[in-house]
Amino acid sequence: MHGPIGEVIQFIDLNVYTITFLFLVGFIGGLVSGFIGSGGAFVLTPGMMSLGVPGTVAVASNMCHKFPKALVGAIKRYKYGQVDIKLGLIMGIFAELGVQVGIMIQKRILDTWGQAGSNLYVSLIFVLVLVTVGSFVMRDAMRMRRSRTETDSGMNLAKRLQRIELWPMLELKVANLRISMWFLIPVALATGMLAATIAVGGFIGVPGLMYIIGVTSIVASATELVVAFVMGLGGTLIWAYYGMVDIRLVLIILAGSLFGVQLGAIGTTYVKDYMIKYVMALIMLIVAVSRFLALPKYLNELHLISLSDLMVGIMNKMSFGIMCLALLIGATIILTSLFKARRLERAAGTNIF
Amino acid sequence: MPNKSAACHLSPHKPTPARVNEPSYIMAVTRNGHMSEYVMEYAVTVAQRLGYAILAVHVDTLPLFNRGRRGRLFAAAMQESAALLIAKARHQEVVVEHLGEIGKIGDVVGRLCRSNKRIEFVVIDKGIRQEEVARLAPVPVFSVKNTQQGLFNRPLSHTTNKQGVFAMFTSSKKQYVQQCVIFGILTSALYASVFAYQDIVMTYFSKGGIYAVLPVATVFAVSYFHGNFTSSFWSALGIEAARKSSAQHVAPEKQATNTVKAPRPDTRPRLQINV
Repeated sequence: MHGPIGEVIQFIDLNVYTITFLFLVGFIGGLVSGFIGSGGAFVLTPGMMSLGVPGTVAVASNMCHKFPKALVGAIKRYKYGQVDIKLGLIMGIFAELGVQVGIMIQKRILDTWGQAGSNLYVSLIFVLVLVTVGSFVMRDAMRMRRSRTETDSGMNLAKRLQRIELWPMLELKVANLRISMWFLIPVALATGMLAATIAVGGFIGVPGLMYIIGVTSIVASATELVVAFVMGLGGTLIWAYYGMVDIRLVLIILAGSLFGVQLGAIGTTYVKDYMIKYVMALIMLIVAVSRFLALPKYLNELHLISLSDLMVGIMNKMSFGIMCLALLIGATIILTSLFKARRLERAAGTNIF
Repeated sequence: MPNKSAACHLSPHKPTPARVNEPSYIMAVTRNGHMSEYVMEYAVTVAQRLGYAILAVHVDTLPLFNRGRRGRLFAAAMQESAALLIAKARHQEVVVEHLGEIGKIGDVVGRLCRSNKRIEFVVIDKGIRQEEVARLAPVPVFSVKNTQQGLFNRPLSHTTNKQGVFAMFTSSKKQYVQQCVIFGILTSALYASVFAYQDIVMTYFSKGGIYAVLPVATVFAVSYFHGNFTSSFWSALGIEAARKSSAQHVAPEKQATNTVKAPRPDTRPRLQINV
């Protein structure tokens, strides 16, 4: 720690458009986070920057809104018996370490290849991770949907790992499994590293918990909220120490996202297990397309390809638009399945009377 | 050869003669020094009605913590509790056996159920999670709910006999609206104070250093007030968790049945006569 930054930070003036935009994005992001455990906040940083918020303030404010949202979501889902606190806390601590490692890698890349190189690295990681993990999760979700089973099909690796007795063994009561801590640590570190790189650790954390540790998707997505809380609190303390948090933006986003996160958490009690995987995979794959469209801009800046400014501008706008679309599609699926299931439940209730 | 054919007639599911004459037990388990009165009464009443015996088990789940004086107190409480149960059972002519065990509740129950005693079902005392025991017990596990534990366990908001089946629904909805209004006002006050004095707020909140506590404390306050407001808001609108969520609550239990160990093979010598 080198003490607070002395330079003057420009905080934006708020108007009706800014407030409405942040509230709505907060709500939709909260809805998705409450449902799949994370992934609702990635639109906010570029979104805030498009409103004129400086990059660091946007990142800091985004992180500061994420941890209370994760806390509220985790409490809500704990009430439904879906959260494994022990697993979440242990994973959160190691994920925090992963964040520090991720930041060090980022700094080294920034020093070696400059800002454009760093951006290219971030986008490449985005595309690689999201396409690989997203398609795997999507395939599994489709398989579960077709076979109409409640049990996860892609758990062979997890079952094998659970059989290995390697001290220290963790007894996870809510997740209902026993596994060595040595298998949890890499998942947690990868979650933290991804969180430091693309700001959404859950895209590794939740699939890691599902396929490597063997947790069901409902418990994995709920426990990820605890991990997000631990990581978010640590990150926020650092950013706030440097005076980068714009509390007004945070409060506006939270106003919307806490409505969303509650609704998303309620939604998990209505849907089948594969639905969480399905929504998560869909969002991941659409965001991968969005980040793919952002690649030419950085390649252009590094003079690896030559594209006109107009072309780059269009692709950039498309990239942001597709990212918003990913959230919107996710939110629509969640709300539709929630209200559809409620209607069915009510119909079943009236039939009983 | 006759021996072989005789062995084929033995079905593994048929109880052996020695097993038939054994009494059936109700296992009453507690992790406290004193077993609750209502667990004792329930066990004695049911045992008398069914003609079973009672196996009372005190499990010390914290052997490292219950050392020295605590250990002696636990043992004394256990003896006292066992004596009380035996006295209660004597009136109803029910046989009581008492055991003091050390270890995890689930493991102890699982082990005792697979011992030579014929345990029909398990009754657990307060402080024991049902799923923890049910996971490892091959017999049904019941927890006894007490309705006479004082003010806190009584429903305060309504009397069910007057309002019928919808009593709970109507009263909780009113409660949600009340909560929604209270937390809504508190959240609005918090937001209003931040935005009314945003110049001062931004000066101090972005100072950094020790002032980092201010934004963090504020968002914690928001997550409490606004979190409660939004929760009661959706509940007041009638948007609540599915009724099956309680089923998801115990979902791991369902899986756990796969992990229950197979019953220990009966290796006791037995006589077979071929006529």
